[in-house]
Amino acid sequence: MFTRLNLRFPQRFPQRLPRITGAGVIMLLTAAALLLLVGLPLLYVLLQAIFPGWSRGELSGAFGLFVPLLSDPELLELLGNTLRLGIAVVMVCALLAIPLGALRALTRVPGGGVWDLIFLIPFMIPPYIAALSWMLTLQPRGYAEQLSGVSASAFLFSFSGIVFVMVLNVFPVVYFAVSRTMMSVGGRYAAAARVSGASAWRAFWRITLPLSTPGIAASLLLVFALTIEEFGTPATLGAQSGYKVLVTGIHERFADWPIDIPGAAVLSLLLVMLAMAAFYLQHWLVTRRSFVSQTGKPAAVERIELGHWRWPVLGFFSLVALAAVAVPIFAVLATAFTGTLSGGITWNNLSLRHFEALFANRGGALQALSTSLGLATAAALLTGVLGALVGYLVVRASIRGKGLLDLLSLLPNTMPGIVVAVGLILAWNQSWWPIQIYNTGAMLLLAYACLLLPYPVRYASAAFRQMGESLEEAARVCGAGFFTTFRRILLPSLAPSLIVSMLLVFAIASRELVASLMVAPAGMRTVSTFVFGQFEQGSPGVGMAMSAVAIFTTTALLVALTVFSRKRLPIAG
Amino acid sequence: MFTLKPLALGVCLFALPGLASANALTVYSAGPGALIENLADDFTQETGIEVNVFQSTTGQVMARLESEQSNPLADVVISASWDSAKSLHEEGLLHEYRSPNAETVPDFLKTDHYVAQGVSALALVWNRNSDVPQPADWSDLTETAYKDQVTMPDPAQSGAAFELITGLLTAMGEETTWQLMEDLADNGMIVPGPNARALNPVLQGAKSVVFGAVDYISLGQQAEGEAIEVVFPESGTVIAPRPMMILASTSMPDEAEQFMDFVLSEQGQARVAERFLMPSRTDIKALRPTIEELTLIEVDSEAMNAQREAIINHFREATGI
Repeated sequence: MFTRLNLRFPQRFPQRLPRITGAGVIMLLTAAALLLLVGLPLLYVLLQAIFPGWSRGELSGAFGLFVPLLSDPELLELLGNTLRLGIAVVMVCALLAIPLGALRALTRVPGGGVWDLIFLIPFMIPPYIAALSWMLTLQPRGYAEQLSGVSASAFLFSFSGIVFVMVLNVFPVVYFAVSRTMMSVGGRYAAAARVSGASAWRAFWRITLPLSTPGIAASLLLVFALTIEEFGTPATLGAQSGYKVLVTGIHERFADWPIDIPGAAVLSLLLVMLAMAAFYLQHWLVTRRSFVSQTGKPAAVERIELGHWRWPVLGFFSLVALAAVAVPIFAVLATAFTGTLSGGITWNNLSLRHFEALFANRGGALQALSTSLGLATAAALLTGVLGALVGYLVVRASIRGKGLLDLLSLLPNTMPGIVVAVGLILAWNQSWWPIQIYNTGAMLLLAYACLLLPYPVRYASAAFRQMGESLEEAARVCGAGFFTTFRRILLPSLAPSLIVSMLLVFAIASRELVASLMVAPAGMRTVSTFVFGQFEQGSPGVGMAMSAVAIFTTTALLVALTVFSRKRLPIAG
Repeated sequence: MFTLKPLALGVCLFALPGLASANALTVYSAGPGALIENLADDFTQETGIEVNVFQSTTGQVMARLESEQSNPLADVVISASWDSAKSLHEEGLLHEYRSPNAETVPDFLKTDHYVAQGVSALALVWNRNSDVPQPADWSDLTETAYKDQVTMPDPAQSGAAFELITGLLTAMGEETTWQLMEDLADNGMIVPGPNARALNPVLQGAKSVVFGAVDYISLGQQAEGEAIEVVFPESGTVIAPRPMMILASTSMPDEAEQFMDFVLSEQGQARVAERFLMPSRTDIKALRPTIEELTLIEVDSEAMNAQREAIINHFREATGI
């Protein structure tokens, strides 16, 4: 294998894995971990959909549910609504975030890396809190009306309103993918184009943008998957406008007595199929040609000076930040710092009582915070390591069934959190497991790792696709083993994408709600279940106070991390 | 990244609490988190038995029980829907027990397998700062004064709201009830989801009245200074008892029975009263109107539940949601 010299089309002649080496063992373990983490719960959901009595241990009535459910005319509407929403959010996200990311990567935007931090914040605002914030802001007598006399409830409680709020929630996925990818491809190739006489625009359209396709497509796929599985926003805003999607249908079956787990499982399978279709579209886009653009040490990008364009660009960034970050945070703080909702924003109504309630540790608020942060950190590390390995496996190794692994690593992104949670419960709450992890904090970790694994995998595999195999070959020729190559060559070039994806995992895991509600062991609370509980029991003030504390803590942690390791973390630019 | 790993790992180890104690009693409870936490703490103090609480909505609690069926973990379950207890009992999943402390609990709030922890009622909740007059009865809300000002919890998602529909069906008959729902929908009533979602717009003033809110939440908010009024309609309302039960699969039946006794003790019932619920024991003082003081509609819930799906569908048709 050292003698293979034809390295120009590495994608078409993937290297065979050595038989029994460190690499082989690692890859085997990776595949096993993936199957255990993702395959097992999915298998149980599938079995539940096929055998309605599965959770009771009965095998009767197989496939009995498919026909009545699938012939329900309401289903067509749910399916149509889901698709429409997913496509709309993807398109608006692309229009908004690709220019943002490209500007950030290729030009000197005033503020630079600060924008990266700001655009990470929407991720730390739980979607249902964001939706609630917009509701509190834009509904009649909402904060906007109290402060400026404007209300826009007709817009908010409509399809456009739902798309608007969801885009603001998920656009950072695309922004980060685009800016990271363009930073790594934009430098040398665009420079070569410029040297050959292309204008800056031409270099962008003909070189940088096309070469960034894998990263962009992967991130848009994530957005699509995130949108069709998101529950908070459609449930909060859609209920008032009568816009129902598959996920709300699934939740109805879970939350309404009598509970219909088999029906929910069937609907979930539909959702998964939708996502699979999207996955194959993306797969087709990125694999029909080679995007190898990194064949050496990443070079620093020569950024374009914006000149007079500085101000409109700054205005664009600020506007997005205002809508995605400032407004929701303001609504959260306004609700947290006012004594009563009916009192509105007045000086008399200013009160610290919700924070006092919080810090008096009512309902274990602080413990919930530390639980969430700990779990989110663990989930980020676990998915980061596994994601890098899976990404490598999927792109580089030529083993049978790697397509299946690729698919498996994406599927959780399309499964509603509640379905993954039920799959996990069905799979792990069995008395025959030698170690009982059900009803322990490990279940939460498994749930987060399963749900969020797609992020590192997507980012890592996109990075591997852009990385020439010649780098590894060179390392091996020099006598490096798999571990050394991985650590010294692959990881450093992978690090920018991988770290961003791990930060995303951290941010999302620290506020994940739906699965947490289901699998949190009795006696353990996370930030999100705490907040949700407060809303359910009619204490929106305390709920928002907790959200504020959580959003600021996670943000502060990330800022500290960035400052602390400025040279290593690309996020500081 | 590597320098950060040990640090991060340390955080995890520090923050991940230990495994749940094996000898603790596990309680799944819907409804007020503060209530079940106080009850659990008091109980631990008195008996030394640890309690692990899972608190959520009735739907979540039931979904969890359902998915854990092959290996149930809960010992005691408290739900906010009487029917859920009935149906668990019909499946043979409940442990038979009558607490000696349940003597002063009225007969319709206790059976051999489950007993009410407390009782709530359904009410109109009106925002005092709103421009609309205070309503006195359900049907007032069809007037033009309340155009686009009314919210209602979804009976499909809120057991209590479903009880209300069955109550209205009993008191007013089918035709009048569905006509009322149609008129409300024509008057711009929205049905945004379970209880809290119907209430929040009214708190801020985006809407003015909740049709069929669970009373204790609103009474609590009123006590905390929200400008709302809880109105029990003249023509009558329905109650929603909160059943408490022990699962037959429990490995700690004695401790579970002790817990039930404790919730029904004077101390436990005082905790229930604190949350503006009606204590199920008639000899404990409530902080709010009680069953005797309210005009109640008597519902044949068995007959009503048999046609639950038809009622929900009819509701959807009438309101167009």
